[in-house]
Amino acid sequence: MNIKISALMLGVMYLGVPFFLGDNDYLIGLVASALIIAGVAVAWALLGNLGGMVSFGHAAFFGVGAYTSAVLTMDYGVPVFVALVVGGVGASLSSIFMMPALRLRGPYFALAILAYAEIFKILATEATGLTGGAGGLLSIPSLPVFAGVDFGTKLGGYIVILNIVTLMLITYYFIRRSSYGLALKAMHDSELATRIVGVPATYLKVVMLLVSAFMTGAVGAFNAHYINFLEPDYAFSGTWTVFPIVAAIFGGYRTLSGPVLGALFIYLVDQLVFKNLIPQGHQLILGVMLAGMIILSPSGLLPVITNLFTRKKADNKRGEAQHA
Amino acid sequence: MLKVENLSVNFGGVRALQDVSFEVQTHEVLGLVGPNGAGKTTSFNVLSGTVRPTAGSVTYEGHDILKSSMHQRVTFGIGRTFQIPQPMHELSVRENLIVAQRFGRPDGKVKQERIDEILESVNLLHKAEADAATELALTERKALEVAKALATEPTLLMLDEVLAGLETTSKKLFMQTLKNIREKYSLSMIVIEHDIETIMNMCDRVVVFNFGKVIADGDPEETFRNPEVVRSYTGEVPA
Amino acid sequence: MELTAQAIFTGLLMGGFYGLVAVGLALVFGTMKVINLAHGELVLLAAYIAYAVESQTGINPLLAMPIAMAVVIAASLITFYLTNKIKKDRELNSLILTFGLGIVLTNGLLMVFSADIYSTQSAWFMEGLVIADSLFSMRSEMLAFVVGLCALGGLYWWLNHTWHGRAIRSVSSNRDAAKLMGMNPTKAELWSWAIAGVLAALAGVMLYVTSVIHPPIGHSLTIKAFIITVLAGMGSIPGVLVGALMIGVIEGLTTTFFQSSLSELASMTVFLLVLLVMPSGLFGKKAGH
Ligand SMILES: Nc1ncnc2c1ncn2[C@@H]1O[C@H](COP(=O)(O)OP(=O)(O)O)[C@@H](O)[C@H]1O
Ligand SMILES: [Mg+2]
Repeated sequence: MNIKISALMLGVMYLGVPFFLGDNDYLIGLVASALIIAGVAVAWALLGNLGGMVSFGHAAFFGVGAYTSAVLTMDYGVPVFVALVVGGVGASLSSIFMMPALRLRGPYFALAILAYAEIFKILATEATGLTGGAGGLLSIPSLPVFAGVDFGTKLGGYIVILNIVTLMLITYYFIRRSSYGLALKAMHDSELATRIVGVPATYLKVVMLLVSAFMTGAVGAFNAHYINFLEPDYAFSGTWTVFPIVAAIFGGYRTLSGPVLGALFIYLVDQLVFKNLIPQGHQLILGVMLAGMIILSPSGLLPVITNLFTRKKADNKRGEAQHA
Repeated sequence: MLKVENLSVNFGGVRALQDVSFEVQTHEVLGLVGPNGAGKTTSFNVLSGTVRPTAGSVTYEGHDILKSSMHQRVTFGIGRTFQIPQPMHELSVRENLIVAQRFGRPDGKVKQERIDEILESVNLLHKAEADAATELALTERKALEVAKALATEPTLLMLDEVLAGLETTSKKLFMQTLKNIREKYSLSMIVIEHDIETIMNMCDRVVVFNFGKVIADGDPEETFRNPEVVRSYTGEVPA
Repeated sequence: MELTAQAIFTGLLMGGFYGLVAVGLALVFGTMKVINLAHGELVLLAAYIAYAVESQTGINPLLAMPIAMAVVIAASLITFYLTNKIKKDRELNSLILTFGLGIVLTNGLLMVFSADIYSTQSAWFMEGLVIADSLFSMRSEMLAFVVGLCALGGLYWWLNHTWHGRAIRSVSSNRDAAKLMGMNPTKAELWSWAIAGVLAALAGVMLYVTSVIHPPIGHSLTIKAFIITVLAGMGSIPGVLVGALMIGVIEGLTTTFFQSSLSELASMTVFLLVLLVMPSGLFGKKAGH
């Protein structure tokens, strides 16, 4: 079921979106931005939903990935596509500093990661030589022409981020169905039970943090080359934490397509509706949604909505059967 | 194969174990008895790695296991159950055993036939797809507890009151199951149990705990005739 | 030497104010094990009320206190009500919930007051004071310090000498035992949230008269408050005071000898070190592990 939804979703994203929106730079750019959020949301969900480690600090990985890639391409002439990967590696390396926090229980892990993210943001602002400080980095190279396709266009960028997100979903899928995935699922509520049958719980958490940081960093790096501009307040902004959390929770606990659909829905509604209604402070809606979901449906809204929908369909069918 | 020497554990002011020593030979079934709070579970906790002792040493087949992490000890062949069953949440019974096989065996291989065989031997095969944390009755939870430990393919199996709380018939059946398992996989065992009859039935030797100390160690029949042992029992445990 | 003395002095004054900011969060953490990630935003809400009252009527912003208290207590109780509605894993989910409420408050303030920076128009607060011939402060800083100390002292007394206070303390230390003794834990929790509202309002008005306000500050205050609370360990009031003074002095010294932008870095690093090395906080019982 879940995998079918994901396949359908990817089908629409690969064929439908370019076909219908391909020549509207504004709309395709909007969907690409939503996919950037989606990428971070998938990475967040891998750690937070599958691994049970709620993080308030993914902005740190996003920022580190962005700056790593930007600096490598600008100062060292590294090709952009290589730099995207290295951006992810950079974020993974930065997550090593957070590893001591893995020993902490859930709420304290969340608080510690929040503090780490603040530290990273301050360091990025202070390390002016590397990051351009508060002034920022301008004219970061765009995505290049590759195999005859110009990925520097809005549509080209869209295809790249879509590929990145797809790769992440495939990774998520394989981790979830592996024995590692089973162990992670169980560790959430019964860590002792898993450790006593030989699960190296700490090691699994370390791996999940590395993978999640890598994914977030790569997406951050993509974003840097997509918008060609960085400043610490932007690259390390809490937005990169808040949007993905809302998207991942909205999309549904441990579902594959959830974080992506959640991100598309939330980002597009925010940009197309609320930003127009409330020019300043439209993220208020995000807060309302987050609070509302935690109280009403902590395992996600999308599954509830789809359930309602499929039940209606089933009811209709039953109705038709009776008529026939 | 297992050698426990001069083990002590303090919890704040509570001296849960004081200078405890005992051994388990290959293929032996050792019973641990003693009143509530005597330190039996704490001994298991030290052996399996959930509690760090204040002093003492433990060697298992030549490994100084106190230095090893919890999961390493499992791959050395030490498996245990908990007094309060600890199913892995959000997984089915079968998935519980898959995780135990995958991570508990040194080579990390998962063998479905082996899992079925274990489920069969503890009478859980019909519940293989049930949710482990929510859909099992007490006896089944205890059976899963044993099955999980077996799935790690231990050489030493430590059972913490797996028979307690069962009514007489299921107790007898489950005891027979355990004896069969022991034969089949030629295990060594340490069994914590209050019921003297069970101990006599299952164990080759007993170690008696009282107030964190070993007060007797020997043949079950002789030991239960020892006046000090009788006193610790009648004095501490309401019948 | 003089520079160091001045840095420590400024840091101590700052610390008294931080204690006032943190203690409401610590109180609630003590009774409910809930860390309110919207606490700093509640403080900021009070500050904006002081600004609104001053700019609309021209009266002294301190006089806005009753309105600020009424509003912030109400907001605090709403947060309590919502937190109580969480069904599963309250310790973790309350973090996400209050994080969301913090976003609501910050953006609400942004909507109403814009992103502009405000500070009090009353020059009285800005005038200098000289203590012991060589130590300088603004009147407002001294005022915030004194208010902070009085509030912490008052709260400590209240927790130890009044019936409601004792009820809160016994619910913090052992919820079930308190229940058996005939206390109503929910009522004690309600009281602690109300008091947290009072303290946040006090802190907010002090914030407005000592400093400048704009919407993102709420988040920084929240972080400062939970840092101090975790340093203190499980809702201990003296712990909050010592933790707050420590953070204040660390920031004072970093600002003087390095740069002000590094001061938060220093306090954050201390927080992480304490959390990782002494998870029970400097003065409390086990919390983190
Ligand atoms: N984690 C712990 N913290 C503090 N005290 C403990 C802990 N575990 C066991 N104890 C104490 O150690 C003593 C021995 O307990 P235990 O080994 O569980 O006894 P039993 O023989 O009934 O299994 C008891 O007094 C118990 O209260
Ligand atoms: Mg016991």
